[in-house]
Amino acid sequence: MDVTIVVPLYNEEESVEVLYREVCAAAGRLERSWELLLVDDGSTDGTAGKLREICALDPRVRALRFRRNYGQTAALQAGFDHAEGKIVITLDGDLQNDPGDFGLLLDTLDQGYDVVSGWRRDRKDRLLSRRVPSVAANWLIGALTGVRIHDNGCTLKAYRAEVVKRARLYAEMHRFLTPMMSLSGSRWHEVAVNHRPRRFGRSKYGISRIWKVFLDLLTVKMLLGFTLRPAKWFAALAVPFLIGTLLAFAASVYIDLAVAPGHRYPLVFPAITLLFAFAFTHLLIVGLFSELVVRLGDFRPGETAIPSPSEGRP
Amino acid sequence: MRTRWSRGEPDVSVVIPVVERHGDLAQLYGEFAAELARLGLTAEFIFVVDEHLRGAVPALREIQALAEQPIDVVLLGGPFGESAALTTGFNRARAERIVTLASYFQVEPVGLGAALQALDEGADLVAGRRHPRIDSPFNRLQTRLFHGIVHQLTHTGFHDLSCGFKVMRRRVARELSLYGGLHRFIPLLALHRGFAVREIPLPQRREDCATRYFGTPTYVGRLLDILNVFFLTRFPRTPLRFFGLLGAGLFSLGFAIDLVAVLEKVFFATGLSDRAVLLLGVLLMVLGVQTLSLGLIGEIIIFTHARHVRDYRIAEVIRNPPRPDLAPVPQAPGLDDTGMGGALQAS
Repeated sequence: MDVTIVVPLYNEEESVEVLYREVCAAAGRLERSWELLLVDDGSTDGTAGKLREICALDPRVRALRFRRNYGQTAALQAGFDHAEGKIVITLDGDLQNDPGDFGLLLDTLDQGYDVVSGWRRDRKDRLLSRRVPSVAANWLIGALTGVRIHDNGCTLKAYRAEVVKRARLYAEMHRFLTPMMSLSGSRWHEVAVNHRPRRFGRSKYGISRIWKVFLDLLTVKMLLGFTLRPAKWFAALAVPFLIGTLLAFAASVYIDLAVAPGHRYPLVFPAITLLFAFAFTHLLIVGLFSELVVRLGDFRPGETAIPSPSEGRP
Repeated sequence: MRTRWSRGEPDVSVVIPVVERHGDLAQLYGEFAAELARLGLTAEFIFVVDEHLRGAVPALREIQALAEQPIDVVLLGGPFGESAALTTGFNRARAERIVTLASYFQVEPVGLGAALQALDEGADLVAGRRHPRIDSPFNRLQTRLFHGIVHQLTHTGFHDLSCGFKVMRRRVARELSLYGGLHRFIPLLALHRGFAVREIPLPQRREDCATRYFGTPTYVGRLLDILNVFFLTRFPRTPLRFFGLLGAGLFSLGFAIDLVAVLEKVFFATGLSDRAVLLLGVLLMVLGVQTLSLGLIGEIIIFTHARHVRDYRIAEVIRNPPRPDLAPVPQAPGLDDTGMGGALQAS
């Protein structure tokens, strides 16, 4: 099997048949063997019934149905886990991605990349609630991770299966998939893809997810640094407390000298000195402990780095 | 008829953890065995006894000697509690359908048929609810308080989690992974795992009506259990969202307090060294950073083990032709018709 096309679906009853036909038409032009893997992420509408109809007619199509709604990260992960192709293409179930872009993604991937990410350069979504937050989020992701990619939110991507099957995916990591894979050793590239207005249903996302994205981004950023050098970063976190300790100590000494003999000596600054020193020590200890945690885990930098098809052969 | 059970697996496995108080076990067994016989079902009974209640074992041996169906009596090697007792029972159960019962009289056995039928209709777990309650207002107040807090924190609508009566499919039991105080939240954990859960009313027993007052440690323990299950179901993969927000909040509060104190010193010449509130601010900042650092450790633990973490559960693989080993699972009815519309969302 050359290509597995993975589509996460959540309440896409109306789109799924059109999607199936479009994918068939586009994949048929690729001159590669392919399968379509539809992941029903706990839909509550008639999506499951439609999937049964399609799968009964076409042996190239498989579907996974989740017990409940687990979110897009889990749906993509299930797709990667069950994919049989050497290349995995993902796209959204809402028909906004254009299956006509498959060829472009595959050709780019063949140039020696592990991930080719779609960039919805001409995005057909609302300006204020979707496009502006997206530009800001992508800029932040680029600034914080150093992986300057225009459109992290585009589901239309192509991956080499052996690489993506080893990616660490959980919680809502799908938004940072390319940066995460890049930081663990994968080669990525970005191509501009077609984007179409929504035809059926409505968007499952709103502006409320922004704070979550922001928190996740901070987490990802800290995670990468802390997992690579835990003791160092916890020590960095401890430095302000060392400064606090020294300042409070200086204040204590100053007051000690200023208070005339026989007068009451205020204990607030010595107490602050001790508290800050305590926090400083605690963070150093936590840093050491996290070295142990990382050692016990299985993350090693560069873990998804594999020789590209051309390099790897003699 | 006598040898029917010994040939294959029984229709129902009944697991009874004997870990706290227990009633007349022979009578309990007799009533439920009779009800199962009336329903025409073969059954096995598994009594799991916590070490400190080993006094119950002779009575159970007597039941074993007289019974016509398989009776398992397992004595735990220590005071391991109800979660361990249930897990032991689940691991020994041979039937596809498992019934759990409290070791004292809570509910009348008449609801058994309805519960098993709900399972046949597509539910994966059926939780009993003592309703209508006939016990004292104080007992009911405790129940309402407990479930009110659970509802606020988890957005699930269960009414009687302390009812030991549950009927579930074996694969639900095998997936629960119980420890500590989690046995109290079995319906909630099953719901979180994506199983179809229903609650059915069962008539309460007169023996269950004595007013119960537990000591302070018990009430504190329950509160901790609720917090634990809230944390485990809402932030299973994102500890920093929980600890990070808490830590940032504490830190900001402490920082604000100290900022005010310093500004007062600058503009109103209030002496800093006399102000204990300065100490409070510092303490909060320290606490905030410590909370945050624990959240970071949590994230690191998850990230460095994430390659093997699989959060999703697949109900069904649809393909052509359908493979016999992946037979479709009957579609469960929606949760909303039981008043539990607010299923836990993936976090």
